[in-house]
Amino acid sequence: MTITHHPGEELLLSYASGAADEGVALLVASHVALCAQCRLMVAGAEAAGGSVLANVPPVALNHNAYQSILARLDAPAAEIVRGANLVGNVPAPLQAYIGSDYDLVPWRHIVDGLSTYPLPTKGGTRARLIRAAPGAGVAVHTHRGEEWTLVLTGSFSDATGNYRPGDVQSTTPALEHRPTADPGPVCINLAVTDAPLVFRGLLPKIVGKIFGF
Amino acid sequence: MEPVDAVRLNAAVMAVGQVRDRQAFQELFDHFAPRVKGYLMRLGAGNAVAEDLAQEALLTVWRKAALFDPAKASASTWIFTIARNLRIDAIRKERRPDLDPNDPALLPQAERGADEGMYWAAAEGRLKVALAELPREQAKIIELSFLAEKPHSTIASELGLPLGTVKSRIRLAMARLRLALGDGV
Repeated sequence: MTITHHPGEELLLSYASGAADEGVALLVASHVALCAQCRLMVAGAEAAGGSVLANVPPVALNHNAYQSILARLDAPAAEIVRGANLVGNVPAPLQAYIGSDYDLVPWRHIVDGLSTYPLPTKGGTRARLIRAAPGAGVAVHTHRGEEWTLVLTGSFSDATGNYRPGDVQSTTPALEHRPTADPGPVCINLAVTDAPLVFRGLLPKIVGKIFGF
Repeated sequence: MEPVDAVRLNAAVMAVGQVRDRQAFQELFDHFAPRVKGYLMRLGAGNAVAEDLAQEALLTVWRKAALFDPAKASASTWIFTIARNLRIDAIRKERRPDLDPNDPALLPQAERGADEGMYWAAAEGRLKVALAELPREQAKIIELSFLAEKPHSTIASELGLPLGTVKSRIRLAMARLRLALGDGV
């Protein structure tokens, strides 16, 4: 897998620090599962966190804290799983939400060739899967905020370029685009937005409203 | 932290993981529990919540020490990720009573290859040096990202800087860290 479009470094940093909300964390974790380069960047940022932890002013615990921990050391803990046995091509972080097969997702039909599935994430962003048959795409829109799109299968293109599995497209509010799935396998994306999209045209506006884009 | 200190703390986690060494665990508790508590309070947690999570973090250290690999991260980095994940878990529980136990933030990171692990062990030392040598304004932003854990837009307005400046400082700082990690990145 050749990944050419990576999440911005501030996104990797917000994930590593724990500041990212659930939708962004899911997108970054899914990308990082596919991208060794960003995995290393996240590990680097986590080492920065380790350094912050090492240098933070300590605050004493309650005087009996160690004793109360000691009493819990022998309690049987849940079994530790050393890396789940994953099947299929769904990145591990996403499997926690949808399982291991894109075909079993309860897709909601939007228009011919296009369907969506909203993911139950909490926080300031919304996350959804978008499934587009070749030639299908999301209607022309701009953004009120930022939008990040991780390609899971297939590929899509817009005026800014071509995006393949593992790529993350980051858009700014200014960009007006009509992402369209390329010929070939069905294109499935994980899209995270921090504000609703702004569709051009009445029908797309209504459809967008209904499906919560 | 002195390097020798880091080596001793790594060894203590190993001893807990391999032979359930309670003396080593007490050393880890004495060193890290107050720092985890301090870190959580800097992030705005109250005393009681920070106390509970710090205890929980050290209990997790006891239970998962066998998974610790000093070739991949130092003890403080590993314990940082434990504290971070417990805090995310606690916050999401507050906001969502029906927390999904399969929260992605709690899943283990994908395994690194052996080569990558060895590479990383060598790189972490260089990274610490690079962090210490960051220009003050970049170091401040990185520190705020961890200790204030606010959106970058909030950090920008608190520092009275345009968001673009904050983002470009993050990029510069991360580029320096990337350099410290070597050309392979």
